[in-house]
Amino acid sequence: MIRRGLALVALLGCALQLHAAPEGRAGFESIAVPFFKSNCVKCHGSEKAKGQVTLHDLDDNLAGERNLKRWELILDVLKAGEMPPEEAVNRPAKTEVAEVTQWIESELRKVVEQGREEVVAPQVRRLTNFEYENTIRDLIGFRLKLTDNLPKDPEKPYHFNNTAEFMLLGPEQVDRYLENARKVMASAIVDPVEPEVHRVRREWQSHGLDRGLGLDEVGVWGNRRHSPAHGMGLKSFPQTGDFVIRLQASAILPPGVKGVPLRVILGQTIQLNSSTQRVEPVGDAYVVNSIDEPKVYEFRGRIENFPLERGRVVRGKRQPDSRVITPQVLYDDGTLNDGNRNLIMPRVVINWMEFEAPVADVWPPEHHTRILFDSPLREKDPDAYVREVIDRFVSRAFRRPASKAEVDRFFRIYKLVNPELKTMEASMRETLATVLISPQFLYHTVADGKLTSHTDELASRLSYFLWGSMPDAALLKLAAEGRLAESEVMKKEVSRMLADERSKDFVRNFTMQWLSLAKMKTVPINNQLFPRFLYYVSAGERRGTEQPYRPTIRDYMLEETTGYVAELIRRNASVASLVDSDFAWLNQPLAAHYGVPGVDGNQFRAVSLKPEYRLGGLLTHGSMLIGNATGSAPHPIYRAVWLREAILGDEVKPPPADVPALTDTAGESAEKALTIKDLLARHRQKESCNDCHARLDPWGIPFEHYNAIGRYQPFVPKEGARVSGFNEKAHGDLAGYAAYLRSINTEKVEAVARVPNGPEVEGMAGLKNYLLKHRKNDIAENILRRLLSYGIGRKLTTHDRFVVGELIEDSAANNYRLLDMIIAICESRVFSGTAGK
Amino acid sequence: MKPKTWHLNRREMLKGGGVALALPFLNGMSWAAPSRVLPKRMLVSYFSYGAYMPNGPAGIPNPDKPHHDWSWWPCRDAGPLSFNQSSKPFESLKDYVSYYRGLDHAGGWALGGHSSGDVFATGADMVGSQKTNSISIDQVAANVHGHKTRFASMVLGTEGGTGSYGRSKTLSHRGPGRPIPSMNKPQEIFNRLFKPYAGNGVEQVRAGLKREASILDLLMDQSRSLKNRLGREDQGKIEEYLESIRALEHRVERTSRWTHQPLPDVDTKGLNLSVSHGDPEEYIRCMYDLVYLAFQTDTTRFASLMLESENSSNSELWNYATYVLGYKGATHDIAHKRPADYSGQWDRWRAEQHAYFLQRLKDTPEAEGNMLDRTVVLWGSAHPHASHSTKNYPIHLAGGNRLGLTHGQLHSFEGEKKVPLANLFVSMLHAVDVPVKSFADSTGSMPEALA
Repeated sequence: MIRRGLALVALLGCALQLHAAPEGRAGFESIAVPFFKSNCVKCHGSEKAKGQVTLHDLDDNLAGERNLKRWELILDVLKAGEMPPEEAVNRPAKTEVAEVTQWIESELRKVVEQGREEVVAPQVRRLTNFEYENTIRDLIGFRLKLTDNLPKDPEKPYHFNNTAEFMLLGPEQVDRYLENARKVMASAIVDPVEPEVHRVRREWQSHGLDRGLGLDEVGVWGNRRHSPAHGMGLKSFPQTGDFVIRLQASAILPPGVKGVPLRVILGQTIQLNSSTQRVEPVGDAYVVNSIDEPKVYEFRGRIENFPLERGRVVRGKRQPDSRVITPQVLYDDGTLNDGNRNLIMPRVVINWMEFEAPVADVWPPEHHTRILFDSPLREKDPDAYVREVIDRFVSRAFRRPASKAEVDRFFRIYKLVNPELKTMEASMRETLATVLISPQFLYHTVADGKLTSHTDELASRLSYFLWGSMPDAALLKLAAEGRLAESEVMKKEVSRMLADERSKDFVRNFTMQWLSLAKMKTVPINNQLFPRFLYYVSAGERRGTEQPYRPTIRDYMLEETTGYVAELIRRNASVASLVDSDFAWLNQPLAAHYGVPGVDGNQFRAVSLKPEYRLGGLLTHGSMLIGNATGSAPHPIYRAVWLREAILGDEVKPPPADVPALTDTAGESAEKALTIKDLLARHRQKESCNDCHARLDPWGIPFEHYNAIGRYQPFVPKEGARVSGFNEKAHGDLAGYAAYLRSINTEKVEAVARVPNGPEVEGMAGLKNYLLKHRKNDIAENILRRLLSYGIGRKLTTHDRFVVGELIEDSAANNYRLLDMIIAICESRVFSGTAGK
Repeated sequence: MKPKTWHLNRREMLKGGGVALALPFLNGMSWAAPSRVLPKRMLVSYFSYGAYMPNGPAGIPNPDKPHHDWSWWPCRDAGPLSFNQSSKPFESLKDYVSYYRGLDHAGGWALGGHSSGDVFATGADMVGSQKTNSISIDQVAANVHGHKTRFASMVLGTEGGTGSYGRSKTLSHRGPGRPIPSMNKPQEIFNRLFKPYAGNGVEQVRAGLKREASILDLLMDQSRSLKNRLGREDQGKIEEYLESIRALEHRVERTSRWTHQPLPDVDTKGLNLSVSHGDPEEYIRCMYDLVYLAFQTDTTRFASLMLESENSSNSELWNYATYVLGYKGATHDIAHKRPADYSGQWDRWRAEQHAYFLQRLKDTPEAEGNMLDRTVVLWGSAHPHASHSTKNYPIHLAGGNRLGLTHGQLHSFEGEKKVPLANLFVSMLHAVDVPVKSFADSTGSMPEALA
């Protein structure tokens, strides 16, 4: 209440001030036109149209989407002081700029408040593949891998793909949805007869300990044939259902090592000279117990989610399909490429392993009875029972109560298929599969004033925002009671949802797209410059190629970033923590990569930082640094674009058609030991390139101390110098490699640049300093806009400008705390959908 | 949709039920009988980032300099073909290939160097008048002759899906705003093409299809009632869904019709369907093999194959040149740096794969000629050497010698002589018996291509 009162006062204050200034056409003639004439049209007019922006043809009409966009752009660059450019002679006085921005802002507000010509973006959009798979999981109670069978969702760097514009639908897709729906129902509804249980067990003894690893041991390398590392083959298993893998294990730990990360994977055999075998991890454990106290570890999964090896045809008869359970030791302390030193690395002893499937505490399993529930009605009045089953399922699948007409329609489908499919289970599978290809399931829930209420829509909006999935029972109940829009209820729900495990899906999905991280996985790492970054096969046909089937430091880097953002939200930390922080989110392999001591095990945790680590915030994350490098050298332009798009929230236009490429790109420069800074300077000498690059390049230069694999590297080889090559024998291990790098990297990297419209900053520390001091509000606004845009599944327009303005003001008063920001977004009228209605 | 009348009839028959439904239904529809006429086929394939043309980055070689040995263009001057290092793989196919220089889609000019691949098969003006993509050449043909085969067309790519505006992962579009997702997993493509019943018996499949048709009808009801409850902007989205369901109904009809034709017996020898991007040559050849098998068994006659896309930084395609040539950098970097040693090698590698496919067609006899004689194959990119340029595409046309096309020449359309690439598309369509008057921005046909 108090807050609103204040806002009103502020507004009145504004109005009073504005009263003096001319409005509408008068203001346009007396303020805007003279300002543009003297400051802008020389470059943005009929003769020149730099950046494809012209102002000479504007009039006082701000309405209409195109005009709104133009005026908003003008407003933003004037406010930020980006235009007129610094080098312009006779830049306008601050008061002049203030006068014109005030006029534009008040005119914009008028247009927005009148709600004229607002183009309403379609709210109906299909679920993304990510949302689809999560929704099915929560609907049936267990995860099934389904997206592999769907066409890939489109993606665009720095954009969210959950908008109506991206989420198109075609027949191929519906076809796949139908296949998936049948697969889902085949897993969710079981036949009444209790199935045969498949069991496999294998034991290992420790023979021949005199040389190499024991026959019951799994190590990082040097695993012997017939040892548990070669896995346990399965020839018989059910088509669907839960399975359990139990194994008795203990650790052999060299001095100083605290434990061994053990992973169990299931799928095709990996003991081949092939990188194309398909496997999926079942689970991870951290083994610390010694061989004197062996312990039993248990892993569970759904059998249909794991790849299988099709049986071969032998003399016209197909052999049974098979799968292999393979335990792996994922220990990595940064020395994995040091050659085969298996006896000084930690190992896991496995005495026996068991597989059992299907496992269910009760039969039929809970996920079955949730749909085909126990009821005397089933015998007494089967039709009424079927209707009830349909009603319950549809009400959850459609995320709002089913109507009678809908139940009728699906009941007709049931009646149609029942004579042929005979049993209730089979007929219900087919019937409910069609529920899963109905538009009410596949598309986001939108209030229609009849069947779907506003709070139904709000419940779904919340859950797809914060969980990437359907609302749970509690949310649906609140929606049915119509209480979700109440402020206290909303606050409580958002906090509850963010504390839930499912919110990790949201943070991962959001962060991957917001920071455009996916490309880091495919940057080709130059293994001559960075021979130790990836883990290479040390012997055999595939010697020197990347080791498949085990997570790399690259994979961990994605968790470093997404887990870090999740931790910030959990702590309700300030937006400032995105730029700098006193902790990082690391596990042992990553810590070894960055040179942070004292981290054991592969589980991620918050690690306190010291200044000499040169970490903290997002800007030094390997995920971003690698993705925006060439695999050989840093790429300051990519990094500059990233900083401006992802952090500062600017829209950086792609290079126009027909511009010459920066021919000496960074990769080559590193190989030839030239400095990129000079190359860029040369590039900027061309005027056509300079217009954009002068505002871009300086942002990338302070990142130059971080190399193409995301490590701090303040020295590079001397310009034009011949450096001695990497010699595997002399420089093979970690210490030798470090000495080698010291011997060739002798020149200090220059990472000083003057940021556009700002001071000179030196290196990462200088950049962070500047961002925290001068750009915190911009960064916060960017995060807020992105969260909001992701939450409502559409791009923000000028119409949302003033709501965002209010939100950011409130957030500023609260030190831009992230969790509070998300709560405020959910309470905002743009999110709850009342804006403009 | 067009076939409304028989659509309804067939539905009635399906509802009539049971076993009796099948045979009279088929015989009554004479157009479903297998045609005795030899098939006419077409493949459109695309590679990204342009090609190496050191003596003429804008796509036209410098007439004053000797021809470069590693230029993508086989020779400098228009006229009979002679082959340099880069085009060597096509030497043995001399009478089956032609090069076209100076052609492009005006619609792609403004799209920018990272996006003009979007309109390679459509010629749409996505920036100016149309805003969205439009129907692609393979779909124009499929709409006319697609009913003659089990599948109207086949849409393949190396990355899969549709991609998005300016970042397409497919060449094929059903119409404005309706991209067709490309398939990129060999095993899946194979199963869909040749094992569509997933191991079920034909009777079982027919029963399933019958059920499906009825279910789709009910779904249509369901969706229409939803549509009516929504605002106008949102109705468009549901219409997208309705159209998809309608298309599925067609597919169900089509599939049930084809259950009366035996599935082709496909020789899978030497076909490694579990191949991954880690081995580009195996993978690309496998994709070409699948097109070949689909053509050979007359499973479809029209295919598109997006061999590469411009925006592949999230996929393994980004590393192709690294895997193939040991190039230290992203494949895309070759387009920007144009390193003298790798650029030509990379083009040559691409040419080898394409020539492999053409050769396979040529080595397969068909009637008095071979399969290549009756298959029109387009291969090209939407950029010349200068990778941000969207003009003067490298264009390579092959096959169709018995469909009225002639080969063995380099045709040049520089300066005054410039015509739209769509003119060539018109002639390609004519060759496969699709009597269009125009395509996209065409101004006529391409007499140079005709015998």
